[in-house]
Amino acid sequence: MISEHFFNKWIWSLLLIIPICGLIFDEPYYITLATKVIILGIAGVGLNLALGYCGLISFGHAAFFGVGGYVTAIMSYHAINEEILFNWPFDIFGSSEMLIIWPFAIFISSFFSLIIGLLSLRTSGVYFIMITLAFAQMLYFFSISWPNYGGEDGLSIYMRNSLPMLNTMNPLTFYLISLSWLLTSIYISYKLINSPFGMAFQAVKQNEERVKSVGIETFKVKLLVFVVSGAITGLAGSLYTDLNRFVSPSVLDWQTSGEIMVFVILGGIARLYGPLVGAAFFIILEQTLGAYTENWQFWLGLILILEILYARTGIMGLFNKKKTI
Amino acid sequence: MKNKILNIKNLSKSYGAFKVTDEIAIDLNFNEIHALIGPNGAGKSTLIKQIVGSVKHDIGSIILDQEDITDLTDIERAKIGISRTFQVSSIIPKFSALENIILSLLNKSNNTFQLFKSLKQNRELHLKAKKILRDIDLDSKSDEVASELSHGDRRKLEVGLALAMDPKVFLFDEPMAGLDEIGTKMMIDLFKKIKANSPILLIEHDMEAVFALADRVSVIVYGKIVATGTVKEIKSNKLVRDVYLGYEI
Repeated sequence: MISEHFFNKWIWSLLLIIPICGLIFDEPYYITLATKVIILGIAGVGLNLALGYCGLISFGHAAFFGVGGYVTAIMSYHAINEEILFNWPFDIFGSSEMLIIWPFAIFISSFFSLIIGLLSLRTSGVYFIMITLAFAQMLYFFSISWPNYGGEDGLSIYMRNSLPMLNTMNPLTFYLISLSWLLTSIYISYKLINSPFGMAFQAVKQNEERVKSVGIETFKVKLLVFVVSGAITGLAGSLYTDLNRFVSPSVLDWQTSGEIMVFVILGGIARLYGPLVGAAFFIILEQTLGAYTENWQFWLGLILILEILYARTGIMGLFNKKKTI
Repeated sequence: MKNKILNIKNLSKSYGAFKVTDEIAIDLNFNEIHALIGPNGAGKSTLIKQIVGSVKHDIGSIILDQEDITDLTDIERAKIGISRTFQVSSIIPKFSALENIILSLLNKSNNTFQLFKSLKQNRELHLKAKKILRDIDLDSKSDEVASELSHGDRRKLEVGLALAMDPKVFLFDEPMAGLDEIGTKMMIDLFKKIKANSPILLIEHDMEAVFALADRVSVIVYGKIVATGTVKEIKSNKLVRDVYLGYEI
């Protein structure tokens, strides 16, 4: 049994080796694929805070992923077309600068998670799952019926948004940008779960009634976790749009929520690196089994069943049996 | 009135036609342990739940330290100074004993919403928590996972969680259930010590402990208080002996 700390170092080594191999063998596709893993991993890191550490089984995180994605695409679309984004209370233009887009994407997905959280956190259990799913589906159907931004066909942005002094169209550059966000989101999660606030939300997962009885406002605790979780997932959505230079309603679909949840469960619930490992495993399955059959999810389902029956600690748990909350 | 820290008037709760608590009037003086005894199903725990606010009462009022808290939520009541233990141990199972106590200290120390400050480096919280663990004789097990503690140790930990809140009143629901002789004695000594700062409303089936501790005793039967008095008065009350204590005392 190796320590989780050692395994985490191994993951980081791999994340640094992959792009180097991509460059050496002149295979930019693998760099792009690794970038996808990282971005989906960030989305999972976001959900893991709510689901893994606080016990909020959100089946609507596609909403935040999609909002982040659409904010990025819409701002970029308006910048490219030199159209005004809003003209009230004053003229606001779009932007193709990542440094402007990221704060917007994070802020607006946080706002959506605040509104959804305020309403859905009044429920729990299966009702919470259904209400978060319902919100995400509402946004999904709204995006389909929004012709200004492509409706069902989605919205292309042709050029990746820019970052000063960097060529973001270079796969390696964009990989490193995404990697730095992954590092940031993992660091934020780490700091949160080891803070007094982290203790409160991890306790809420285990025994909310007891937490209330010691005078902690559990609703506020859950809401704040939900908002931070939504913000991180929204950021992932923003990066995903830039990766693909395209966004479509599919990012808001319930299937996206399910996939983010699968990353967390596969990798290991309430494990800092679990969602990243889960996303990597998911993409590897998609790429390998998907080459043989388009119904590769059958095998994913089988793996999930086996994991839930025999290895609930996920892939990370196979390497380290340390108990999680 | 001025020497009453907790004053409950006319508190009633019904589930359909069944009255769980029926016009309960009970109070708690400063520096006092007031024991509430009665047969199983008499409404003792439901009364505690109504005082802490986790069960809504139908009518009645609750005054804590001259303040009407009847309409406050359970969290607001906990914040202003009502601390409880549960009839069945309610702890944070995957936290260590020390972490459980620290959690209970968070609210009072205004630390709950510190997002990025490391908890491990908060020396003050750790020192306070360790002192409480010493008080409840659990300092040697501070790093043990709470769910793996023995039943008796979990009962002690519950009391520790209540102590950490430094409340105005304690509501202890069978804190000595399942404790061995040494544990019970430790608890009795501890309660005698802490009542000077925060009086205790004590529900307990261990009559030896009740009689050793209580300044006053109330007897509840079918949701109604049938007698209140000193230990001596309760022991000699014929009705109480008939309905609850039996004749062996």
